[in-house]
Amino acid sequence: MSNLWRTKLRSVLTILGVVIGIGALSSMVSFGVGMQKNLTDAFKKNDLFTSLNVTARSVNLEEISSGNLSNLNEKLQEPVTALNDSVVEMIRKIPGVVVAFPEIRFPVKLRFRDKETNLTLSAVPVGMKSFYPFSEIKKGQFFKNDSSFQLLIREKTLQDMGFKLKDNPEDTSAISGKYILLDTDSVIDSAIDIISKDIDLRGILANPFMVLMSQRRLPFKDTVIPFKLTGIIPEREGFGFDRFGGGVFVPLETSKRIPNLGFDNVWDLLGEDLPGDKYGSVYVRVNDMKMTKAVVDTLKNKGLNVFAFSEELKEIKRAFMIMDSLLGAIGLIALVVAALGIINTMLMSILERTREIGIMKSIGGSEAEIRIIFFVEAASIGLIGAVFGLGLGWLVTRIANAVMNSQLKPQDLPAVDLFSFPLWLILGAIAFSVLISLAAGLYPAIRAARVDPVKALRHD
Amino acid sequence: MIIITTKKLIKQYRKGKIIVPALNDISIKVKQGEYISVIGKSGSGKSTLLNLIGGLDTPTAGDLIVQDKALQSLSRKELAKYRRFVVGMIFQSFNLIPSKTARENISLALIFGGVPGKERKRRACELLDMVGLKDRTDHKPSELSGGEAQRVAIARALANDPEIILADEPTGNLDSSTSSEIIDLLVKLNKQKGKTIIMVTHDEEAAGKVSDRLIRLKDGMVV
Repeated sequence: MSNLWRTKLRSVLTILGVVIGIGALSSMVSFGVGMQKNLTDAFKKNDLFTSLNVTARSVNLEEISSGNLSNLNEKLQEPVTALNDSVVEMIRKIPGVVVAFPEIRFPVKLRFRDKETNLTLSAVPVGMKSFYPFSEIKKGQFFKNDSSFQLLIREKTLQDMGFKLKDNPEDTSAISGKYILLDTDSVIDSAIDIISKDIDLRGILANPFMVLMSQRRLPFKDTVIPFKLTGIIPEREGFGFDRFGGGVFVPLETSKRIPNLGFDNVWDLLGEDLPGDKYGSVYVRVNDMKMTKAVVDTLKNKGLNVFAFSEELKEIKRAFMIMDSLLGAIGLIALVVAALGIINTMLMSILERTREIGIMKSIGGSEAEIRIIFFVEAASIGLIGAVFGLGLGWLVTRIANAVMNSQLKPQDLPAVDLFSFPLWLILGAIAFSVLISLAAGLYPAIRAARVDPVKALRHD
Repeated sequence: MIIITTKKLIKQYRKGKIIVPALNDISIKVKQGEYISVIGKSGSGKSTLLNLIGGLDTPTAGDLIVQDKALQSLSRKELAKYRRFVVGMIFQSFNLIPSKTARENISLALIFGGVPGKERKRRACELLDMVGLKDRTDHKPSELSGGEAQRVAIARALANDPEIILADEPTGNLDSSTSSEIIDLLVKLNKQKGKTIIMVTHDEEAAGKVSDRLIRLKDGMVV
């Protein structure tokens, strides 16, 4: 070790090689890991590992879009379990299932403070209260019960309508002009209307020719249903996305009372409904990731088609592993060059210290002990290099991240962290660096141990 | 009691295709506690003989028996142990490690001897005290005079308490008064501690005064 100090400049340069190698390797891998972490976190946050989608039949959109409908007809003939309330009830009783509800969504018009917008309405039961994104309601609260006329709105929807929330009533500095500023407190529990289109059966009955004669008037009628805005779902952060589409949410039972032209399933368009098939799909929430597989199997045994994200993630993880390996390979090249530097430095050092090695042998140093001395030196280069290399890697990733976020900010996009330095990466990089350095020190150490002491003592 | 026996000891060096004889048929016996001086001109093979007895080099042919062990049959590992515990070597150019202090130079030998850390420091100071360098423990070789450096080397040779001290022209780089101090120290080790000493030297006069026996070498042979 002390020898490293004697030839300071050379040691510093050699260590610098390792620093760059480890810096490159760790920042590259950190990027791969960070990307994966962002995605997995988004999955976790959205409970995608514990979320399942149950449909009566599998829908192969690719097949449909390619116009190959022959299989489709066969499929339509297959016996399937129809999705109705009793099936939903049955799913609820499967061990491990926390929430199961039919997915109902249809287009509506929303009217708030004299502004109107067209969007999709989704229905959720009270059971979803503690799950993302409903667990993150910014202001206000979740529905009281499944049949109240309460409504949740996304902050984004309000923005699209031209409203901006301000948390502090005195705050006037926020963006003005483009948006109408609203006090969050005043918005909660204020009135909001759902305007739903429905086929005007009564109108058609009263004047059947109306449909044919009038070009302008379609046989639809608008129904205005007053709601209370009870809560605001905040803007998602990072790479987040949530699986619940739609701009507004109403209680499950309430949604069934809103007249609509609902078709939310491709099967509604393609064929006649299954006898007794009431819902297009059912959303199932499992209480634990470990239970997902068992629940999926149970559902499949019941003849239902299940889509689970956890299955998809396996593929994604494989893709990430390939990406990590490629990124790591780039870093590895730098580290191999550094290893050559170590070999060179150590061989130089042996030349310079031949006499010293001879002295050590003459006073009883064994070959093993001399090898160890050189191994320790090589390992020290690796260790010091790794520590500073990780520092460098971290610094580089912080800068890259800052640059990246400075690009995102003007576009009103939330800040992200592209990189991740988990403990295993830090320890792994140190271990790897020490190992590579030891490997680089192997040949020089063996050579040092084999020095002929008689010649070495004559050496100058 | 005989501690070192050589029988028809031959050492040859190979320089390309030419074989250079260094030692030719050396048969000597050394008794325990003897002070022997090996004299002869340069190139006569004195240092080669010392290196063979010191286990730094291996003979081409013949037997070399030290304390009933035939050195030529020892493995490299066993030979390292032999150098560590049986012999202590002193050189003309001191051969101290320049980056280490006097105490650290001695400690290195103690490390090889397997002495634990705390004990090492105590032993090293004790040895330096014995050679009269109590106040030089933290000096590096470059800060020591020639005589002082050689004393450190002697202290180091004694670190693992060997039976035999091998001195290769220990006074060759020293002035006459310092030389006699070093010789006195070796005599003291011989008489008081009973160490067997083999000293290679040019100085026949001084050697005659202190040693029990002279071995004269010429062209690799005892004369």
